[in-house]
Amino acid sequence: MQRISTEEVFDVLVVGSGAAGSVIAAQMARAGKRVLVLESGPARQMSDLISSQIWARRLKWSGAPVEEAGNLPIGHNFNAGWGSGGSALHQFAVWPRLHENDFKLKSDYGKGLDWPIEYDDLRPYYDKVQAEVGISGDATAEKWRPPGQKYPMAPLPVFAQGRLIDKGFVARGMTTAPIPLAINSEVYRGRKACLYDGWCDAGCPIGALANPLATYLTWAVEAGAEIRNEATVVKVLHDTSGRTATGVEYCDADGARHRVHASTVVLAAFAVQNARLLLASASERHPQGLSNKNDLVGRYLMTHPANSIYGIFNDETQPHLGATGGQLINHDHYSQKEKGKAFGSYQWLIANALKPNDLLGIANTRPDIYGAALDDFMRKAATHMGNMVFVGEDLALAENRIELSEHKDDYGVPLARATHNIQDSTAALAEAAVAEGLAVFKAAGAADPWAGPRIGMHIMGGTVMGEHAASSVTNQYGRLHELDNVFIAGPGLFPSSGAVNPTFTIHALAMRTADHILGNDTPSNSSPGQ
Amino acid sequence: MQHDRRKFLKSSGIALSVIVSGEILRVSPRSAQAAALPYQVLTEEEVATLQGLAEAIVPGAREAGVSHYIDKQLGAAAEDCLLMLKYLGVPFADFIGFYRGGLHSAGRLARLRFSLPWPALSADQAQTLLVEMNGDTDIEWDGPPAPFFFFVLRADASDVVYGTEQGFDQIGMPYMAHIEPAQAW
Ligand SMILES: Cc1cc2nc3c(=O)[nH]c(=O)nc-3n(C[C@H](O)[C@H](O)[C@H](O)COP(=O)(O)OP(=O)(O)OC[C@H]3O[C@@H](n4cnc5c(N)ncnc54)[C@H](O)[C@@H]3O)c2cc1C
Ligand code: SF4
Repeated sequence: MQRISTEEVFDVLVVGSGAAGSVIAAQMARAGKRVLVLESGPARQMSDLISSQIWARRLKWSGAPVEEAGNLPIGHNFNAGWGSGGSALHQFAVWPRLHENDFKLKSDYGKGLDWPIEYDDLRPYYDKVQAEVGISGDATAEKWRPPGQKYPMAPLPVFAQGRLIDKGFVARGMTTAPIPLAINSEVYRGRKACLYDGWCDAGCPIGALANPLATYLTWAVEAGAEIRNEATVVKVLHDTSGRTATGVEYCDADGARHRVHASTVVLAAFAVQNARLLLASASERHPQGLSNKNDLVGRYLMTHPANSIYGIFNDETQPHLGATGGQLINHDHYSQKEKGKAFGSYQWLIANALKPNDLLGIANTRPDIYGAALDDFMRKAATHMGNMVFVGEDLALAENRIELSEHKDDYGVPLARATHNIQDSTAALAEAAVAEGLAVFKAAGAADPWAGPRIGMHIMGGTVMGEHAASSVTNQYGRLHELDNVFIAGPGLFPSSGAVNPTFTIHALAMRTADHILGNDTPSNSSPGQ
Repeated sequence: MQHDRRKFLKSSGIALSVIVSGEILRVSPRSAQAAALPYQVLTEEEVATLQGLAEAIVPGAREAGVSHYIDKQLGAAAEDCLLMLKYLGVPFADFIGFYRGGLHSAGRLARLRFSLPWPALSADQAQTLLVEMNGDTDIEWDGPPAPFFFFVLRADASDVVYGTEQGFDQIGMPYMAHIEPAQAW
């Protein structure tokens, strides 16, 4: 082991500069705290966000490998980012809220876990983040939307692809609404408006999409926070009592070890790495890993089961136009979770902008077409293809978990092993939705629609929040039950997955945690809902 | 050592850097292909198999420089590597073994069936082997699973053929870059 150097002291240490970490850092720095953000990946600027699906891969996770198992692996390296802004740097900014019926799964349905809070506890934070960041959408058209402030911006336009697929929903008596996006449909608080070019997956360099470089990470730096890149945290340190963290140990790009200290430590290294870090920080006082007396760290790992539906239309679809996240949304069957053999809510994200290559690109939607036939397919699809994505609810199961592997990374820290299986009721939910999606596409006029494979989308759980130490890792503010000054931020806290994209909720929860750390348990700046 | 290499690769920027007679040349894989520049990781035989196989899967891949693309990425540091394999569950340390294993198995399959290397196969012969690689019947193969290797190579070849400004143009899709890539990869 290399010698440990430097012993700096801060008020708050934040591990990870993604969605959650940047909100915490900004709020702490704005309140005058001395904040250090330690980020494992490289420093990134807006100018690094090159419009190319090939170059975009630099933004993906390149830290320690994650070993995966199960019938629906979490797809860590696709779902995780690395460097300033984390995964959120190239998120698609689909920002729906969780619904009111997502919070009490165990009490209401006898499945999974309950949140220790209700929708109403998060609502003011959703409203506050929405006002700061800006969301485009139509709250009235989203007839399923839980209460809250209307969106500050009108929705993005719907292009030919969206209009065509919408006909299929209408024909089947279903409803669509403009998709809520943390993307500017007009100039918002000095940030530019979207140009509808569909490069969101490669990262939006003009600031129209609310990635951390356009929002909280930059605001954190402006308020005085320091971001230290290529700093991989390997251990959380604590005092002799085991109740108080004293700081963290991290390795720099040359492998040198450093210790930094603070009165508050916030782990915002995303679901898998947060759990790994707790487990790898085992000590005499916490022999099974930090705050893991009840063997709950790493458990209840979740990912949304997702399938894409594709079709070729007679009319031109202009699939290159719009945002990668989609043009329309459908939550018609969200409120009813019990569906016979199937269980869970789900949503459709409709008419996503497409590019020719990459995992979600046109070419890979039909891996069975190759040779001379491929070029014909590509030419036709480039102008006539439509697509939409099913996102389903996953259940929190104790056996789905992150553990430490026997293999170690370059710094001697055991790798994470992530096991994730879905139950039959979740598989049934996905199968029924795929059948519905194919029917919608047929009704919309696609001759021979097809479905892509089931994949894991988003990663949640592993450090779930709850009322009691016997059934959760943190309290309702993300504070570890067994340490007084270590907080978790990010989707690892979610005790249920819902069926919506998680990043709006991540922001709202992180804002709530920040307020709590600052001793301000009623949100500042929140305006009354409608 | 590893870190020095990473820094070098970082500073070498986005172009494909090839050292020729002590000078570093920066060229795109398409021009590297045209200029027959040397490979850094793959052997001559591996390159021949790769070009034949990728061309059969995605016509145009050979000329677009698929072999220089993959060769360059296999020599890059994990964080600079642009291969799609990066998020398909294969650890970075196994990337070279993944491609080598697949290429050797594919080369052997061609010799076993037709006593020819991939570039010498007719279009029909190549298609027969691609069907076998994707089929359910057991074939003589000891690399990564044949259908998975096929999928990855098809994606790589699609990257170089369709994922560039030229490729978008070829299929009639406007590129509309915010920041144009200085090099295709
Ligand atoms: C392609 C894609 C599209 C997406 N689209 C959407 C969408 O439309 N809507 C939505 O709601 N969500 C979307 N998401 C999901 C969203 O990006 C994540 O849920 C969110 O970013 C998670 O926030 P986080 O702060 O927990 O983690 P991240 O944003 O990933 O940040 C974690 C950071 O921690 C760093 N880190 C990890 N380990 C360490 C360590 N040991 N030491 C120091 N730093 C460390 C990482 O490098 C990373 O930068 C998308 C994700 C991807 C990949
Ligand atoms: S479509 Fe809009 S949000 Fe996406 S990259 Fe382009 S300008 Fe940015």
